[in-house]
Amino acid sequence: MDALDFGMAQSSSRRRFLAGLGLGGGALLTAPAFGQSLVNLALPGGPSTRPMTSAFPQKGDMILQRTRPPLLETPMEVFDRSVFTPNDRFFVRWHWADIPTSIDVESYRIVIHGHVDRPLSISLAQLLRMPRLEMAAVNQCSGNSRGLFEPRVPGAQWRHGAMGNAKWVGVSLRHVLDLAGVRAGALAVRFGALDQPVVPDGPDFSKSLAVDHARNGEVMIAFQMNGEQMPLLNGFPVRLIVPGWYSTYWVKMLNEIEVLDKPDDGYWMAKAYKIPDTPNANITPGTKDFPSVPINRMIPRSWITSWSDGTPLAYAPNLPVGGIAMGGDAAVAHVEISADHGRKWHRANLGPDEGKYGFRRFDANVRVPRPGTITLMSRCTSAAGVTQPMPPNWNPGGFMRDCVETSTVTLS
Amino acid sequence: MRDISIGALSGGALLFAALILIAIGPPRHVPLPRAPATYNVSGPSEVTGGGITLASTSVDLADDDAVYPDGPHADVINASCTACHSASMALAQPRLSSDQWKSIVEKMRDTYKAPVPEAAVPDIVTYLASISAKLPASGAAPLTTNDRSGGTG
Repeated sequence: MDALDFGMAQSSSRRRFLAGLGLGGGALLTAPAFGQSLVNLALPGGPSTRPMTSAFPQKGDMILQRTRPPLLETPMEVFDRSVFTPNDRFFVRWHWADIPTSIDVESYRIVIHGHVDRPLSISLAQLLRMPRLEMAAVNQCSGNSRGLFEPRVPGAQWRHGAMGNAKWVGVSLRHVLDLAGVRAGALAVRFGALDQPVVPDGPDFSKSLAVDHARNGEVMIAFQMNGEQMPLLNGFPVRLIVPGWYSTYWVKMLNEIEVLDKPDDGYWMAKAYKIPDTPNANITPGTKDFPSVPINRMIPRSWITSWSDGTPLAYAPNLPVGGIAMGGDAAVAHVEISADHGRKWHRANLGPDEGKYGFRRFDANVRVPRPGTITLMSRCTSAAGVTQPMPPNWNPGGFMRDCVETSTVTLS
Repeated sequence: MRDISIGALSGGALLFAALILIAIGPPRHVPLPRAPATYNVSGPSEVTGGGITLASTSVDLADDDAVYPDGPHADVINASCTACHSASMALAQPRLSSDQWKSIVEKMRDTYKAPVPEAAVPDIVTYLASISAKLPASGAAPLTTNDRSGGTG
């Protein structure tokens, strides 16, 4: 929406107030208001019902987890249509509600400072003229699928839709850091953004990466997402892309890069987004005093998307099953399907390889001897030799879910 | 009229459009607390390089007026817990114990600097526990580990 259109819009205030979009009123979940449709996320113990909303700018129909600040989940059927998630259906997650709603590309600057030889202020025009990098990579929330944890844990109660894959185009962070000249003794690079806390002294969102990781040539400052500039809610004009790592590092509306010569002790690195330092970040519920580390690399996951869990279908002896898989911080090596609760696994066919950090399509056919309910599972193994485990992992933050997911269909 | 060149027609159209835009002028009735007003008569500002153009963008972000529904001390939670986030954040949580709610409310105050008076905390916890009481108790043992990881995500 350009500036002139915005000026001519009918709304009389910067934020339009939309009645009935919340979950308020009487019982936890009310009857639909104003004809809005509801979706059932089937979270164990609930509440599972969420409204659908198309009220957010540059976004189509999304599952509404929270209006302010926005938490918008992608409906699973979007992932069945393409391994690339359209920009207007890509999930949205902000920590603080003071999000700039107007960005002027001519005056936007990214400031690089700290333990560098030459502090810089880079304009978007300069960034667009720098050597370019293109990469497909999955952006997945650290807490994707948290709503399925058992026992349940507090936090954003996503089902599987807090993720998306896009082709990102931008400049490698290494190139920008080398323009500033990283000085010897640099330990980390911290990223700041335009959004601000809404209360004084609230911890401003920032994340950091170890300096060698920041300079690995794959971490990039992106200005294009699936061939277009990013939706504002996904970080326009520029965001950080950290292929193979969880979304918390993919700082949106990136405007500050600070090179540190000591560890980042800010809240968002030192206290938030920490996982148990154990295999699969798994601990027994109730465990106290476990060592923890900042969440980091993603791990293999896969989802059957060719129908919604619990869908009734007409019986046929042959059932096509398809979905998407990801290798985490490595490529997908293979995907297998089981129709007998994991006793036997059969290789699925993989779709085109669109990049090691992206989604990969898989398809298979399952023979169905007679009508009834079938339980299907998909299991991904990455090129790093990591296979999705069967038992669900658990940690109090609801992070890094990695287990084999189950999908049921009733054929009658 | 005959033999009007394309150039003249385009020029005329542009002039006409420019005159319209000048007549409309920049928006005056919409308050924009933060926008660096870069409205200009030739359209939104852009930067171009290497075959890619980025155009300045303004959006109208949705908000909600939903409040916490009726319950014990609903007035207290409505006064304390709507400034930073929608009510749906709390209402979408799974069944949590009073201890877990207390830990969460204290995190809001201590970590996120929510302007919640300490005296209000017990009432807020009572309200949130009443919401949880409407959810089915699961078969699993009640969770006693409070999240020391800082959470979010």
